[in-house]
Amino acid sequence: MSELPTILAGVEHAFTLTNLLFVVFGVMAGQFVGAMPGTGPVMAMAIAIPFTFALDPLPAIAFLVGVNKGGLFGGSIPAILINTPGTPDAAATAFDGHPLARKGKPEKATKMALFSSVTGDTFSDIVLITVSAPLAALALKMGPVEIFALMVFAFSIIAGLVGDSMVKGLIAAALGLLAAMVGLDPEHGTPRLYFGHFELFDGLPLAAVAIGMLAVSEILRRLAAIGSDILPTIVIPKSQSKDDRRVSWAEYWSCRYVMLRGAIIGTILGAIPGVGSTAAAFISYASAKQAAKDPDSFGKGNIQGVAATESANSAVVGANLIPLLTLGIPGSVTAALLISAFKIHGIQPGPLLFEQEGRLIYGLFAAMLMANLMNLLLGQVSLRLWSFAVKAPETLVFTSALVLCIAGVYVSTGGAFGVVIMLIFALTGYFMSLFGYSVVVFIIAFFLGNKFELSLSQTLVILDGHPTNLLSHPLALVLLTCAVLSAWWLGFYAPRKARKKA
Amino acid sequence: MKTSPPLQSQGSGSFTGKHIVSLNRLSGLFFVLAGLLLYFVIIPAETETVDYGWLRPQTIPNACAMAMTTLGALHALIPTGSISVKLREILKVTFFTAFTLLSLWLMETFGFLLIAPLFAGALMLLVGERRIGWLAGGAIVFPVAIWLAVVPLLERSLP
Repeated sequence: MSELPTILAGVEHAFTLTNLLFVVFGVMAGQFVGAMPGTGPVMAMAIAIPFTFALDPLPAIAFLVGVNKGGLFGGSIPAILINTPGTPDAAATAFDGHPLARKGKPEKATKMALFSSVTGDTFSDIVLITVSAPLAALALKMGPVEIFALMVFAFSIIAGLVGDSMVKGLIAAALGLLAAMVGLDPEHGTPRLYFGHFELFDGLPLAAVAIGMLAVSEILRRLAAIGSDILPTIVIPKSQSKDDRRVSWAEYWSCRYVMLRGAIIGTILGAIPGVGSTAAAFISYASAKQAAKDPDSFGKGNIQGVAATESANSAVVGANLIPLLTLGIPGSVTAALLISAFKIHGIQPGPLLFEQEGRLIYGLFAAMLMANLMNLLLGQVSLRLWSFAVKAPETLVFTSALVLCIAGVYVSTGGAFGVVIMLIFALTGYFMSLFGYSVVVFIIAFFLGNKFELSLSQTLVILDGHPTNLLSHPLALVLLTCAVLSAWWLGFYAPRKARKKA
Repeated sequence: MKTSPPLQSQGSGSFTGKHIVSLNRLSGLFFVLAGLLLYFVIIPAETETVDYGWLRPQTIPNACAMAMTTLGALHALIPTGSISVKLREILKVTFFTAFTLLSLWLMETFGFLLIAPLFAGALMLLVGERRIGWLAGGAIVFPVAIWLAVVPLLERSLP
């Protein structure tokens, strides 16, 4: 463990004007790129890495961390204002954020997203700084069997999101899982369901599917609904009170448990390699909905829905660095990009990092906290600009959003094929919504499908087909028990109780 | 099981309460047929037959197809949940999707910078925008701004 002088030297090293400026540039770039559908922090970091060659290690890595943090928050802005998530991580933010904006409270919704994002992010940074080593050891105990149990648990939580028909929800989940099966199968490596399109060997692109189903389907529906009177995209009442434009301390404090739960979910999932922030956001949203006294208000503009998703997806950022810094294992694509940045500067992440580069690591921690502060301050400015933009007529905003989605998905998938996929899934999402099949459940099942199949395949090999071998995996048993209880609670007990009450 | 709530009339092309149950049943039947088609035709044709290993390539796709068939049949028999179908909106959304696909093909042929402004302008005109200032913003400023942000700034390629 590094001693106090190393920590102080690292902090002093971080708090320079140069580092501050790089953090500011990083956060600004991240918020800008994150707000563009289909792009996001991964692409921004990949583009930015070559520009950091000439920099010292700390400003270079602080800049990339700023891009990542800014990008995750940036994705929530269009999700809330025009129901077009800039990144898949922000898809769940749109569920309550956009209805709240349509109620004429876009500033309240986006500010809550900003505050909860910074809160979740800061929570996970503090966990990273204080208990990263023991947490990394615990995360490493999550082998394929435990990951499989975690996936089953995540699927069981879907039961809370199926809406007014359990059968339709299950059909949507089966469809999502089926869509995830496109591409190479994980055990044998044989291609399947690709219909002669080699672009589908890696599966359906997540960005194209998520943006198509959640954003483009809504854009097309809103364009089709425009009548003779062309209104602003978000109608803000002229007599709107000051309380509707801001998040009061009482509102923020009322979301404390939701944000804490989201931050814990994000931190735990972030520390486990390969799970990611999209899963954290959806799981946090589902758990917040089920724990709420008024679950029916979720999806209709409940501010707690925004707080739950943003605190969770942002908490993944800091936690992703736990296995990276302590063990040298990247937990996500962004963490893998950070490893490459470390290596460019001749630094080897891993168990010896704190001993050999203590000053740099504690400097990085200080820079991360600085990036959170900058995210909060710069976010306030960018929210004002965005809130002004959505007062433009819906003809302009939705047409531009559609062009933006086309460009974003074209860039992220590397060609027009991804855009065609996006349009196919936009129509699918539109028809599913019309007939009451949950698009959210589809997306969650689609997102978890690959990881589920891979971990199931590995689990079957490890257990050698004998369920009794599960007894030697106590953590997996706990998770599977939680899954059964959660499916029973969310799928049967809670709905029956609600019906009795009604 | 909860029965379908009646839907209020929503103008021309809307379905009313008495049609909802039938539409719900139809959607259930659709998934029965889709599941059967997947199980007997598409999955066998599009998945390699492997006869070893714990989890074969077709295991989960087949399970999904069977789930769709069973649940679809259940839904056709006992329909639940709400539906909000508007024919005019469906036609418009389908048209806009086809128009976007056509524009994508044109972008691939003639370039984003030439076609995106035409696409955005035509779409704005189609949905009823007639104000020159907003048309110019949507058809010229935004597509060009997107191109500038993506191509010179991010150094990525567009069609």
